[in-house]
Amino acid sequence: MKKYLQIFKISFAQEFAYKVNFIMWRVRNVVQILLAYFLWSAVFEDPQITIFGYDQSKILTYIFAVILIRSLVFSARSVDVPQEISEGSFSNYLIRPVEYFRYWFTRDLSSKALNFAFSLLEFAILVIIFKPPLFFQENLLFLTLFLLTILIANYLIFVIRFIVTSITFWVAELGWGGQFLIMVIITEFLSGSIFPLDIFPELWQKVFYLTPFPYLLFFPLQIYLGKIPLNLAMNGILISLFWCLTLSFVLKNVWQKGLKIYEAVGR
Amino acid sequence: MRRLFYYFKIWWMMNIKYILPALSHNWTFLVFLIGKIIRFLFFGGFIYFLLNGTKTLAGYDFNQAILFYLTFFLIDTTSQFLFREVYRFRSYIISGSFDLILIKPISPLFRVLMGGADAIDLITLPPLIYLIFHFGSLLDPTILHSTFYILLVVNGLLLSTAFHITVLALGIITLEIDHTVMIFRDLQSLARFPIDIYKQPLQGILTYVLPIGLMMTIPAKALMGLINLTGVLASFGFGILALFISLKFWNFALKKYTSASG
Repeated sequence: MKKYLQIFKISFAQEFAYKVNFIMWRVRNVVQILLAYFLWSAVFEDPQITIFGYDQSKILTYIFAVILIRSLVFSARSVDVPQEISEGSFSNYLIRPVEYFRYWFTRDLSSKALNFAFSLLEFAILVIIFKPPLFFQENLLFLTLFLLTILIANYLIFVIRFIVTSITFWVAELGWGGQFLIMVIITEFLSGSIFPLDIFPELWQKVFYLTPFPYLLFFPLQIYLGKIPLNLAMNGILISLFWCLTLSFVLKNVWQKGLKIYEAVGR
Repeated sequence: MRRLFYYFKIWWMMNIKYILPALSHNWTFLVFLIGKIIRFLFFGGFIYFLLNGTKTLAGYDFNQAILFYLTFFLIDTTSQFLFREVYRFRSYIISGSFDLILIKPISPLFRVLMGGADAIDLITLPPLIYLIFHFGSLLDPTILHSTFYILLVVNGLLLSTAFHITVLALGIITLEIDHTVMIFRDLQSLARFPIDIYKQPLQGILTYVLPIGLMMTIPAKALMGLINLTGVLASFGFGILALFISLKFWNFALKKYTSASG
């Protein structure tokens, strides 16, 4: 445990080594939120209207909460792993006395901690500037379930990312391509981080809910906003747990097979 | 004219003749192509379902909103296709290999601006142009408004060229390229929707300071008959001025290049 605490501290310090990188990354996040904010402000110009089950305060809460949840769920240092596998520097880890997934999970946690701290600041600044009418969930049960789903989301995205990373063992040049297609395009859209998924027809939403992606962001936010009843919330939590187990099993098998064919090319 | 043909031939040889066949057999190429198509469809689907629920967006109906989106995509994709080399410029500066470009008998600006076209974007252009033709014709534009649209798309590309030249010049002075480009692209993505949805002063900034509105929203508005000749000429004046200033800035930056890494 002490070992991983040190990894957390070192990784946290390393984030500050590339200050411009980090600041620019945060600026990009804010710009994306501004796009969503102005778009939905235009749609909800009349504060009395309700569209797709959202009123003005709930949709703006959704948009602003995306800043915080994205930083908690999507921030990760393990995005560098595909490059390490394709360059062969992955070999260095095989001889270190650390459990590989725990190592990266710890590093991801440090990245999330830093990004979350900054996103809180951005959230506060944007709220002061735009003064959006925000919705605050007061039901303790829903708040507890929301926190639980955030924990699940963090585990789920870690497993998904490493399954996608595994592709690099077989096709080295797909390291970044796989991340781009699955993690940047599909995950971001189907998690609801670009726009809420309930603008889609009901049948589409039902299909989306069968995939692991909405449980990364959209589902936790639906619980926070109180948009789904308790029985459906519990149902969703069970499905997300099912995905955690299934994808963990898939990752374990794929990773073992990948390790067997890994040839440390480039070393 | 001979000079133009000379550069076109170089561009063709550097980008189309050899790179395209090589990339068409590449896995990465296929994955990125699929990714771009999915992103395009997701945003298109979003606009469709959003407008299904709201009927209008800032006073524009679905066909108009989709034309704004397609025009954004056309100018963005064409810029990506032509100016992809800009994203590689930093490594030339850091490694000092820009020196090798400077001694070649072609314009260094041409080489670092247009020396690495993106074949993925080239493939997505024909269906995009078809979609613009399809959705544009649903708005019943006159020949004059269609001409304005084409001219203003060209002006949008002029502004995009000016921006990419400015980024290159900044790259020489500050060694920073990647983030400048990506932040601009994020800001540019504000034009996926008509800039009328943004409140002042942001709308003014997006029109005159970072001329994203002139680049992407104004052409679509012209096709809808919302821009007159004066507006077209003013936009062109702005585009040419921006290009002129960016070239001056490039020449200034080039004189600051010290070849420190070479």
